[in-house]
Amino acid sequence: MADHVMPHAVHDPNIGTTGLDNRKVGMWIFLGSDCMFFGSLIGTYLAYKGKSLSGPTPYDVFNIPLTSYSAALLLASSLTMVIALTRLQEHHVKAAAGWLIATAAMGLHFVLNQVYEFWSFAVHEGLTLSTSLFGSSFFVLTGFHGAHVTLGVVWLSILVVLAFRGKLDPQDYTKVEIAGLYWHFVDIVWIAIFTIIYLIP
Amino acid sequence: MAEAHAAPSVAPAHGGGHATLKTYIQVALVLGIITAVEVATLYVPGIPKHLLVASLLGMSVIKFVLVVGFFMHLKYDSGIMRAMFIGPLVLSILIILAIMALFGAYLLLPRPTL
Repeated sequence: MADHVMPHAVHDPNIGTTGLDNRKVGMWIFLGSDCMFFGSLIGTYLAYKGKSLSGPTPYDVFNIPLTSYSAALLLASSLTMVIALTRLQEHHVKAAAGWLIATAAMGLHFVLNQVYEFWSFAVHEGLTLSTSLFGSSFFVLTGFHGAHVTLGVVWLSILVVLAFRGKLDPQDYTKVEIAGLYWHFVDIVWIAIFTIIYLIP
Repeated sequence: MAEAHAAPSVAPAHGGGHATLKTYIQVALVLGIITAVEVATLYVPGIPKHLLVASLLGMSVIKFVLVVGFFMHLKYDSGIMRAMFIGPLVLSILIILAIMALFGAYLLLPRPTL
């Protein structure tokens, strides 16, 4: 009788006593903690907002069209990420790899846009990490987000390499799903940053 | 082989389903439209600030919920997963509000006068 109950729990070392995949649970816990990390950075930005004594203000430097384009890129990359997952689930590994490449490419494009934005702020506007409270809180917040995106691009690239070497198959669905969770998290953080930092006057 | 293609059950045997591709595309379209409206709102003259802030935050929350619910599959996932994410998320919102209150920074309410 007991042998008929949840055979996965016996044979799959990744399934814990809750019946959930430990790797997925671990990723959700990490994302929860990362929420608080970004919450503290966003709170700090808002606390310092409008209190800089020198340097340019957000309205002097923000390039809303460019940032909107970056926001659209990340949103689109979330779609390509779930399509990649769906294709892998349907046993189309090469197609999944193609969608992962598209996702990583859009992520890389986002990072390059951010590098250009930072360079533009520093060179043309004279805004650096040490210029003002705005500069400090802005660069730390968006810089950490950019670092998250960069890490995501590296992670996706590794998955692509594994797929083309034949080391990624539909049985590895959870591995790709976990990478996807991280990627979508990066997207939702940007949803918050885009509105709170760039759009709200 | 045909059986393999017809078996999408490789995945979420343990605490997770997912939407269809059609649903994902519909969600992405809604996200795109909301983003366009968000940006367009900035260029509409004469909107009171509190209304502008509230509408931007509202649209942001809708986008957030759509991505977490559909793309991250939390809508279909187990209650444990939901609790592990929503709990810290609520805490992080409280952190933001606490820091803002400590420093006297307000988004919607007027700053108190000393």
